[in-house]
Amino acid sequence: MLTFILRRIVQTLVVIVILSYVCFGLMTLMPGDPVELMISANPRISAEDVTRLREFYGLDQPLIKRYYTWISDISKGELGYSRTYRIPVTEMMGPALTATFILSITSLLFSLIIAIPLGIVCALKPNSKVDYIANLFSFAGISVPSFWLGIVLIIIFAVNLRWLPAGGYQTTGLAYENIFQELMDKAKYLILPMVSLSVQSIGRFSRFTRSAMLEAMRNDYIRTARAKGLSNRVVIFQHGFRNALIPLITIIAISFSSIFSGALITETLFAYPGVGRLIYSSIIGNDFNVAMVAFVVSVSAVLIMSLVSDILYGVVDPRISYK
Amino acid sequence: MNTAQNTTQKAQQKAQIAKMEKAQTITQIVYSQFKEHKAAVIGAYVILIFVVVALSAPLIEKFTGLDAESQNVFNRYRPPMTRVKAGTDVRETSIQRFIDANPEEVLIIQNQLISQQLVKPIRPEDALYDWAQLDRTKAMDAIDLIDTSKKSELRAIANRFESFHILGTDELGRDVMMRLIYGTRVSMGVGILVALASALIGLLVGAVAGFYGGFIDTLLMRVTDALLSLPLMPVLIVVAADDLQKIPFISRILTSGNESILKLVLILCLFSWMSVARLVRGSILSLREREFILASKTLGATDYTLITRHMFPNVIAPMLVSVTLGVGESILFEAALSFLGLGIQPPTPSWGNMLFNAQELIYQAPFLAILPGLLILFVTISFNYLGDGLQDAIDPKAMRR
Repeated sequence: MLTFILRRIVQTLVVIVILSYVCFGLMTLMPGDPVELMISANPRISAEDVTRLREFYGLDQPLIKRYYTWISDISKGELGYSRTYRIPVTEMMGPALTATFILSITSLLFSLIIAIPLGIVCALKPNSKVDYIANLFSFAGISVPSFWLGIVLIIIFAVNLRWLPAGGYQTTGLAYENIFQELMDKAKYLILPMVSLSVQSIGRFSRFTRSAMLEAMRNDYIRTARAKGLSNRVVIFQHGFRNALIPLITIIAISFSSIFSGALITETLFAYPGVGRLIYSSIIGNDFNVAMVAFVVSVSAVLIMSLVSDILYGVVDPRISYK
Repeated sequence: MNTAQNTTQKAQQKAQIAKMEKAQTITQIVYSQFKEHKAAVIGAYVILIFVVVALSAPLIEKFTGLDAESQNVFNRYRPPMTRVKAGTDVRETSIQRFIDANPEEVLIIQNQLISQQLVKPIRPEDALYDWAQLDRTKAMDAIDLIDTSKKSELRAIANRFESFHILGTDELGRDVMMRLIYGTRVSMGVGILVALASALIGLLVGAVAGFYGGFIDTLLMRVTDALLSLPLMPVLIVVAADDLQKIPFISRILTSGNESILKLVLILCLFSWMSVARLVRGSILSLREREFILASKTLGATDYTLITRHMFPNVIAPMLVSVTLGVGESILFEAALSFLGLGIQPPTPSWGNMLFNAQELIYQAPFLAILPGLLILFVTISFNYLGDGLQDAIDPKAMRR
């Protein structure tokens, strides 16, 4: 068990280091490096100035050396400045991470609340009409492009019905009187992104719950429990669902990374100020410092999340042995 | 009455038994299993329709007289089912082309147009250009009155003075239907290409890892696991935003014409082979211990023969499922990247970049934003159902007799 955990930790760390290096290398392939941008901003810049600037920013050094300087700066806590906003990257990362965290967690909870009962109902009445319709919706949920669903939701609820705001994080210029009002206001902005982000996981979770539950209800101990005269509810939840829960936890752990992937597009579409949008806009806007840090930090966060859930998995199910 | 019913029933039973006793090949069994999954069959038909429409795009273009590129800025955001008059520039270029093609015949036509007082140009050379400014019906009437061997060509030109847009026009006045049809080619083409290519990569990696085991296996599977654990979208964005021309080797493959499509296929392949690799490795690990492999090994089969002749046929079926599901996924990723402006670059239409343009226009033309997404939904749902049906069909556990 301990060796397994240690190996997983080392593995995750290695992936993070390699990833950050590869990503650093990829950033140099982006159209326009910092000095090229300065040249285009100031066409009368002289050739000597260009070489001087390149030297100043270390752009004449080989890639590995530049990476080393960058990573040692990062480890000292100096994340650099955003070229677009002229503020330290540290100041941008905090709020963005919080916003993405809120969006991801609410959408994960929302999809679980809908998907698990749906999956259980389908598993208890397989091949019924309910099962058939739920199956259709699950497939639609998996297949629908979430950004398109977001656009449709905006058209319906923001443009036509005017019930909810089309995008953003909170009402601008509004001074909150109390915490309740603040929560209500922010929740209003969270609904549409959350729904459009959840649809895919609802489809995946409900299909998975259904098959896991079907598998669990086929076991002999279910028949024994029924023969013992236990009530239907006890059989379903205590004996069936608790066993179906184990495979469900894996799929939730795996879905962290896909939810974060989806959050990037959803945040961009709804102008929600999360990390995903930060990565996208900084890459589009040639803001390399921000792009690098946001990318590496958020991907590492996802990897660490799945590491933690992997370890927890063993705690939930003592039957699993790690080799 | 009763006896008659009984005999028919018995006959039916006999026929059924005879059918059951007849040996069925594995394909027949799989096919009959597949047919029972109604949604998968419907999905297969939907995909077939899309493929046929996409392949016959040039034919449709010829038949309707519309194309995906011609712009008409005076008629932007037209609702579906509208008739639109072509702009002066479009009419004049088609006349110019006609004059360049038939210089002698043009003189005759010009003379006739003027002598019959159908047009009153300032200079005789402008007669045809003036004719081009008429309404479609008037222009048609004029052709009927004059005597020329090029009547059908002129009619074809006059036909293009007005166009009928079944699905309306987009932000540059282009026909939405034709763009969607050409977008189908691009989006489905990319999806299928990526799924096939990544299946090939996955097959190779999985086979090598599973067959040789040891250090190679550990190394390859670590790489696979690492790639699988990454959140795909941010990674894809970072790679897609790169200028791959800066890498000397790749710049030779990417030519300027369809650079964005090839680049996208390349990037998507790079990050979608992992599930196939794991699948293939798993099956090959179990196949390796089977007797028939041992048998052919003792007969002196080389590794290459063992892998390609004896193992690949056994992994094709599960791979087929994962390729089918992969097509849907690749279409979604293509659409997502193009939607962010990092995938297929306009003017080449794809469903994703049509949505990219449309997202800013939801007030003026909500219709533009809805259609491409619906097509994506239909196609991916069909591929997913097809994959599901195939999985049920080839899974021996699910076989019902």
